[in-house]
Amino acid sequence: MMKKALHRRVLTVVSASVTAAALLSQAGLASAAGASASEPTLSIAEGVIGGKNPQENTAFANAIGQALHCKVQLINTSTGNYDQKMMAMLAAGQKIDVVYTEGSTLAELAKAGEVTNLQGMIQKSKVLGNPKVVPQWEWDNIKLSSPNGKGIYAVPVKYQGALMAIVREDWMKQLKLSPPTTLSQFYHVFEVFKQKKGAYGLTLASLYDIEPFMSAVGVKNGYVQQGGKLVIPYATSAAVPVYAWLHKLYVNGLLDPNFVTNSTADERNLFLSSRVGMFVYWDAWVPMLNNLAATQGAGASFDAQALPPALGPNGKGLVSKGDTSVFAIPSNAPNKALAFKFLEWWNTKPGEILGSLGVKGIDYTVKNGTYLLTTAGMTENLDHGDPEPISSYWKNPFPRMQKGYANARAVGVKYGYQPLINANWNNAQQIIWQYADEAILGRLSPSAAVAKMHAELLRQHYIG
Amino acid sequence: MPLYAMLLPTIAYFLIFTYYPLAHAVVISMQQFNLIGHRPFVGMRNFLAVLADPNFWSSFRNTLVLGTGILVIGFVAPILIALSLNEVMQGWLKRSLQMIIYLPHLFSWVVVGGLWIQLLAPDGGLVNAVLWALGIPPVQFMSDPQLARWVIILVSVWKDMGFNCIIYLAAIVGINPALYESARVDGAHRWHEIIYITIPSLARTMQVVALLSIMGLLRLFDQIYVMRNAVIEPQVNVLMTYVYDQGFQQMNIGQATASALLILTVTLFLTLFTRRLIRYDTV
Repeated sequence: MMKKALHRRVLTVVSASVTAAALLSQAGLASAAGASASEPTLSIAEGVIGGKNPQENTAFANAIGQALHCKVQLINTSTGNYDQKMMAMLAAGQKIDVVYTEGSTLAELAKAGEVTNLQGMIQKSKVLGNPKVVPQWEWDNIKLSSPNGKGIYAVPVKYQGALMAIVREDWMKQLKLSPPTTLSQFYHVFEVFKQKKGAYGLTLASLYDIEPFMSAVGVKNGYVQQGGKLVIPYATSAAVPVYAWLHKLYVNGLLDPNFVTNSTADERNLFLSSRVGMFVYWDAWVPMLNNLAATQGAGASFDAQALPPALGPNGKGLVSKGDTSVFAIPSNAPNKALAFKFLEWWNTKPGEILGSLGVKGIDYTVKNGTYLLTTAGMTENLDHGDPEPISSYWKNPFPRMQKGYANARAVGVKYGYQPLINANWNNAQQIIWQYADEAILGRLSPSAAVAKMHAELLRQHYIG
Repeated sequence: MPLYAMLLPTIAYFLIFTYYPLAHAVVISMQQFNLIGHRPFVGMRNFLAVLADPNFWSSFRNTLVLGTGILVIGFVAPILIALSLNEVMQGWLKRSLQMIIYLPHLFSWVVVGGLWIQLLAPDGGLVNAVLWALGIPPVQFMSDPQLARWVIILVSVWKDMGFNCIIYLAAIVGINPALYESARVDGAHRWHEIIYITIPSLARTMQVVALLSIMGLLRLFDQIYVMRNAVIEPQVNVLMTYVYDQGFQQMNIGQATASALLILTVTLFLTLFTRRLIRYDTV
C-alpha cells in the first residue's frame, strides 16, 4: 500500500515536471490558432515586430497566417539581448524560417554562410524587385554586409532613418535664433539656451551620436576604405577640432555633464522635460517626441524639429544612417519559399499596415474607409516593427501624428550615409568612446586622445 | 529503492541543465564554431588565443583587484554590522535596521546599478548635491577611472552585506548564553564578551561565508555589465564581461567558451584550495 502511494507520488512529481517543462518551452512563442493541420508552419524569430503583449503577439501571428495561408510561429524575444537569443537558437539547431537581425550581425552570418543569398529571388520578385517599393540605395546598404559586397542576404524591415540633431524649435523661434550651420553657430545656440532657458544646450549618451558635429570637418562615422586599408576617421587628427569643441561645451556648462553615463532614454527624458535644448536621435522620433509631449504634460508650445548637420568646408553635411534592420532566411530554413513570400508580403500594403498600425480590431478599426486608432493603438504609437515603411507607395493614414517627420526624413535623405562597420566595430567603438570622452572631460588633450585611440586600435588590429 | 527514485528529477535536472551543457562547452571550446553547418575541430587553438589576448589578462587583473576588494571589505563589513546590531536593545529598531540593510540584496543589479548611477551623477545626483552644499565641486564618480573601482567595490558590498549580516546574526543568536553569563561572573565587560566569545563562536560561519564569497570571486558580471561605461571599462571589465564580449559582441563563440572553461577551472582550484585551507565541515 505504502509502495503504491510512493509510486503515485513519484509519478506525480515526474509528470508535473514534464508538464512544467512543456509549458516553459512554449513561453515567448505566439502561434496562429485555427490554421488547418495541413498548412505549413512559418517560424519567425524577431525582436521588434509584433504586439506589445503575448495576446497581441498571437493576434499578430494570426494576421500573418491568414494572409499567407499558413501557421505562424512568432518567436518573440523583445525583452532584450535579441542577437544573443537568436544566435543561441540557431546554434542549438532550431530550424527557423525568418530571422530579424541588423547589418553588423548580418555581415557575420553571411560571411559564415549561415543565411541565404536572396539576390536572384529579389530580382525576379514583382514586389521586392520594384525600386519604388525598395529603392536601390537600400539594397546598396544591405550589400555592405555581404561577403565582398556580392549578393543580397536580407530584405529591409523598415525605413531605418538617420541620426540627426533634434532641437526645441519653439525655443529657437521664441529666442529668434536661426538654424545653426557651423560649430560656432551651434555653440551660440547652446549659450542662449543656457542663459535664457536655464537648460543645457546639448546632451549626449557618451559619443552617441556626434556625427552632425563631426560633419563640420567632413569626418565619417565607422570605418572608411583608404588606399586599400580600413581607417577609422574619428581616430584621426581630422576629428581633433570637434573633440576640442565638445570639451569647450563641457567646460562652459553647455554640455550635460552626465553624458558619459546617459542612456538614450535619459536623453529623451531630459529633452522632454526641458532640461536640455538639443540632442541627436532618430528622425522617426521627432513626431514621437511631439506626440509624447502632447500626451504627457510638456508645455503646449513644445515643438521638436530636426536640424541639418554642421556643414563642412565644402558646404556638404553628414548624418549617419542606422544599422539596417533586416529579415534574413537562415541557410537551413525548412520553408524558404514561404519565408520569401512573407518578406514580399511584409512590403505590400497589408504587411505595412500590420507593421505600423497593428492588428485590425485591436489597434485600429476602419469606418467608412477611414482608419481610427483604438486606445491600444494610440498608446503603441503606430509602431509594430515597421513605423515607417520603406515603400514610396506608403501613405501614413494619420498625418497629424507625423508632426516634424517630413522635415526630419528630408534631412536624413539629403545628408545621410551608411557607415561601414564590421564585426570589430563594437570593440573599436569602445576604444574611440573611451578616449574621446576623456578628451571631452579634459583629462586628455584632444590630440593626445586621438593619438592614444589610434595606437590602441592598431595594437588590437582593428585598423591596418 | 522507490525513495531513491525521488532523486531522479533532481539528477535529471543537473544532468540536463548543468553537466550536459558543460560537456558540450568542452567540445565547443575546441571547435571553430559556426552557428549553422560544419564546425571543424581546431584543437587547443581557442585556448591559446585566449591566453595570448592582452584583454583577457587585463580583465583577469581587474577581476582580482575588484574581487579581492569585495571579498575583504564584504567579509568584514557584515561582521561589524551584525555585532553592532546585536547591541541594539529595542527589538523594533533592530528589526527595522536589519530590514533596511537587507533590502538592497532583494533588488536586481539593474535596479541597484541604475540607482547608484543616478545618486552619483554630477548633475542631479544626491551625493554631488551634498558635496555642492558643503562647497565641494561635483565629482565624476562614474567616469573617473581612479574612483570607478572603489565605486564598484563599495556598491557591491552595500548591496550584499545585508545577506551575510543575517547569517551572522542567526549564528550570534545560536551562541550559548551560559558562556556570556559565566564570563560576566568572571568580571568580563561587554567588549571582552565580543572579543572572546562572540567572534570566536562565529568562526565556523565566517568560514562558510568566506568559501561562498571566494566561489563567486571570478563570476562578477551583472554589476559590471550594468555600471560600466566607455571611460571606466579598462579598469572594471572582468573575466565574465570578457566572455560576454567575445561571445556575443564578436560572435567568437569558440574563444568565449574556451575562456569560460578557463575561468571555471580556476574557480574550481580556488574553491578546493580554500576548502582545504579552512576545512569548514570538520570539527
